[in-house]
Amino acid sequence: MTTAPHLPPHAAEAARIAAANRARAVPGRKVYVKVFRCDGPGKPSRWETFQVTVERGSNVISMLQQIAANPVTADGKKTTPVVWDSGCLEEVCGACTMVINGKARQSCSCLIDDYAPAEGDTITLEPMSKFPVVRDLWVDRSRLFHNLKRVKAWVPIDGTYSLGSGPTESPESQEQRYVMSTCMSCGCCLEACPQFNLEPDESAWDTSFIGAHAINQARLFNEHETGKRLKADRLDTLAAAGGVNDCGNAQNCVKVCPKLIPLTESIAVIGRAVTIHAFSKWFSGR
Amino acid sequence: MSSTSLFERHHFLLRRLHSLTGVAPIGVFLCVHLLTNASIVWGLLNTSKAEHGHAGVATFLHEVDFIHSLPFLIIIEVFGLWLPIAFHSILGIYYARSGRSNTASYAYQGNWRYTLQRISGYVGVLFVFYHVATLRWGWTFLVPGGTKWSAEAAASTMAMVLQGGDSGLTAAGVVVSLAYMIGVSLLVFHLANGLWTAAITWGITISAPAQRRWGQVCAGLGVGLMLLAWSAVIGFATLNVKEARATEQSIRSGHASPPQIAESAPTGSTSIGGGH
Repeated sequence: MTTAPHLPPHAAEAARIAAANRARAVPGRKVYVKVFRCDGPGKPSRWETFQVTVERGSNVISMLQQIAANPVTADGKKTTPVVWDSGCLEEVCGACTMVINGKARQSCSCLIDDYAPAEGDTITLEPMSKFPVVRDLWVDRSRLFHNLKRVKAWVPIDGTYSLGSGPTESPESQEQRYVMSTCMSCGCCLEACPQFNLEPDESAWDTSFIGAHAINQARLFNEHETGKRLKADRLDTLAAAGGVNDCGNAQNCVKVCPKLIPLTESIAVIGRAVTIHAFSKWFSGR
Repeated sequence: MSSTSLFERHHFLLRRLHSLTGVAPIGVFLCVHLLTNASIVWGLLNTSKAEHGHAGVATFLHEVDFIHSLPFLIIIEVFGLWLPIAFHSILGIYYARSGRSNTASYAYQGNWRYTLQRISGYVGVLFVFYHVATLRWGWTFLVPGGTKWSAEAAASTMAMVLQGGDSGLTAAGVVVSLAYMIGVSLLVFHLANGLWTAAITWGITISAPAQRRWGQVCAGLGVGLMLLAWSAVIGFATLNVKEARATEQSIRSGHASPPQIAESAPTGSTSIGGGH
């Protein structure tokens, strides 16, 4: 029995394992939360393990709250509360993304029952490795938003006079673009990408791989009737260093996207658009 | 964008030339090259070639003679092979260095292929260099037994290169043969997987089902090429050098070989000198 009929195979498999774990999880058990901690930029990192009590429906956030209420490690050492970033707590803002048991995902939607179903199990939490750590599990995702600016991921409607109403969007096009618009800029696709790596030098951001999220947003706005006015600008950026050509086709992005956005399809669409754009520029100058 | 290195100014052109050179001429050449070399095995089916002895040797020699009959061969080699291979290798290494493999955390099949594509590239560069240096440029000090490959005796000298001499497979010969086995296998994978990614890069395969279908075609091509590559290496590594030599001498002298070797030759047939 699958809960959602349209899950791709990798997500259906993960959901099946999670459901099986949930079915055998016993409420009131004690599990360990192992956290990769860091007091601030440039400070050394360390592992700390905490023991927590898990109830039905406990998620990573509620475990971190439990630790904050009593910041003592499993071997009895007093420490500081673990810092993390969060916003909506319903998997639509992307702020609480962290690396859980080695893979990037949102901590708010991560149930302990799915990951640590037995007494004494351990769940590991690490900050995303592709962004600079602010403290503990909190990272600075500025580069992710910077890259959205590189592809002008917006609809141009600003002017000194009223531009009137825009062109009509067909329901078919809206339906096709909807899933692309569900991106919450969480950074999972970047964390899993072997071509997107930590870049402390901000001056290198504009020529480093832009990431699947920005390529998908470029496609979203290129296919929007008003957004497509900036298509040439977007394709210029995506044809240049750090653009779509730097994708290595490992296709991890599409596997880890919590919103099941067809990121690799968007990469191929932009690949085709950039091919046509470049040939058009060579032969007709624009 | 203050920094404007050569790589950055011509980013798109270089990236796409890197992709294109991998498909043609390099990919096309690899297919032809493996088909030629595997003729040491599939040539055995060529019974009309058996009059001189080993039909595989005769077929392979015929193929080699055809290649060496091409006009301006050195121009074809330099501009059609060596320069594109050097370009593809140097850029490939430069591009591969921008990635950080993470198969430990994300052990997906696609991610493994991403990593293997880069490993096969690195190993492939070393293997191709060794292959061309020893067999084409005559760096015989890198060949156990010091065999110098010659087009005149293409099959027997190739067998000696892989076997480490002319009297059966030596320990050093096993090492060379295994290196060839690993080298060609990685290069065949590199081509098959590269064709799959090139279709995405150029925007030919868009949807996930289209990418899956093209992946099946690439896998099929890869399996076919792998069989050719393995039969070529195994064919030469197990070839009887003395029998190969006898066949070559018979072809070069223009006479049918002695009856004890050409047992399977059709009786009454006469040989036509020249081979092609």
